[in-house]
Amino acid sequence: MEATTYNYKVVRQFAIMTVVWGIVGMLVGLILASQLIWPDLTFGIEWLSYGRLRPLHTNAVIFAFGGSAMFAVSYYIVQRTCQVRLWAEKLAAFTFWGWTAVIVLAAVTLPLGITTSKEYAELEWPIDLLITVVWVSYALVFFGTIIKRKTKHIYVSNWFFGAYILVIALLHLVNSAELPWILGGSTSAWYKSYSAYAGVQDAMVQWWYGHNAVGFFLTTAFLGMMYYFIPKQAGRPIYSYRLSVVHFWSLNFIYMWAGPHHLQYTALPDWAQSLGMVFSLMLLAPSWGGMMNGIMTLSGAWHKLRTDPILKFMVTALSFYGMSTFEGPMMSIKTVNALSHYTEWTIGHVHSGALGWVAMITIGSMYYLIPRLFGRESMYSTKLIEWHFWFSTIGVVLYIASMWIAGVAQGLMWRAANPDGTLTYSFAQVVATMHPFYGIRLAGGALFFGGMLMMAYNVWQTVRAGRVVNDAPIPQAVHA
Amino acid sequence: MDSGTLSGIITAVFVIVFIGIVWWAFSTRNKQRFEEDARLPFEDDDDRPAKQGDKQ
Repeated sequence: MEATTYNYKVVRQFAIMTVVWGIVGMLVGLILASQLIWPDLTFGIEWLSYGRLRPLHTNAVIFAFGGSAMFAVSYYIVQRTCQVRLWAEKLAAFTFWGWTAVIVLAAVTLPLGITTSKEYAELEWPIDLLITVVWVSYALVFFGTIIKRKTKHIYVSNWFFGAYILVIALLHLVNSAELPWILGGSTSAWYKSYSAYAGVQDAMVQWWYGHNAVGFFLTTAFLGMMYYFIPKQAGRPIYSYRLSVVHFWSLNFIYMWAGPHHLQYTALPDWAQSLGMVFSLMLLAPSWGGMMNGIMTLSGAWHKLRTDPILKFMVTALSFYGMSTFEGPMMSIKTVNALSHYTEWTIGHVHSGALGWVAMITIGSMYYLIPRLFGRESMYSTKLIEWHFWFSTIGVVLYIASMWIAGVAQGLMWRAANPDGTLTYSFAQVVATMHPFYGIRLAGGALFFGGMLMMAYNVWQTVRAGRVVNDAPIPQAVHA
Repeated sequence: MDSGTLSGIITAVFVIVFIGIVWWAFSTRNKQRFEEDARLPFEDDDDRPAKQGDKQ
């Protein structure tokens, strides 16, 4: 018999874990920010040292928080816009437990110092294999659902999700190609592996991966989220569907080539550096096209922004998307990069995207989604969402403004030279200059984290008073 | 054919394909189709207007 309801169970699981992992990942971020101010904060315990916690933070916020959010919304949206129940539900359940296992393994191995040392791909080969199995299952469930859809066309969000799933598979397989050291005869550390690449090729593969993880995980995937939840929350269709089609294809055509901008002034061939810069500059067009498309969806409904904090989250997220996609191309310009690279400016840029865009669009979408998964009209407290919004916004602004100032100061001090050619400032002098800005950054991060705690309380109260929804009906009248 | 020529040809093909996509997206023939697609998220009846904001 044909299913008459949607599968909300797996969506619910991932949605709750999004909040949990968000709090865990951001807490680790707070500890790291504090360690930069008080280096002895963790009493020299090796498991809690900066070098081991830093990959834990990045993995937790990107793959645990962001990843769980993407699983939740892609499973929700693909069902609702295709008007069918998920294909291969057991496999979908496996993706939840499998992905959660990957996160737990990361949380254990990274503090132990077990790492491939490849940035954003630190997990060792046994975990890499598990990721591959989970990801292939995800692809099967997602595309299986698309194939059995009852609607004629595939909604634009699903195109974005499809590109994200395929590209992440490609990135993971290529970048994580590695030789387990057990094959090299080692018996002491069977989990250790070495990259298949060496030298500048290794660097190029790493940043081809790294930048496309930004492009297809943190951008494309979350744009799919934006293209569904902004129209739903605003109560009107996307401003221009045709622009969204062009947005999608232009991102796909351009993003792949922007990675070399992470390697300006390195051993990478000069032409590859310039190529990375040019493609990064071109990215400005689709990014801003997409941002305008989202924001213009509110035209005629601007008044809703005054009263609806969920919409505030979403529109502010788009504003940060616009800001960071302007800043990124600027920073890829070689002469700007000569100043900005290796400084705190980069950290500010990343968090303008990660907190301002990714986290805020996710938070807004979760506030839309969670009541619907638990049979409630709305979240327990709208007032608390409003507070969360202001905590987040002020937190991000403090964070990125302090890092801009710190980064530019750092870059200028590093390059300052005396007439005889010696450096004007010692490295330690530059570190000392950073001190107040690290304090402001910590305050901003703490505000953002405080907002997440409000969210956790709000979600808890919503869930407590709600019921588990397993009977959301699939519309039976099919529109051709 | 050396790799430079091949890269040039592939780049040219990609540019043409992309222009084709833009033409396809904005041709008046497909206007209605895309307007219908834009309404896909609204085909279900879960559209309680948001509690916050105005009532529709």
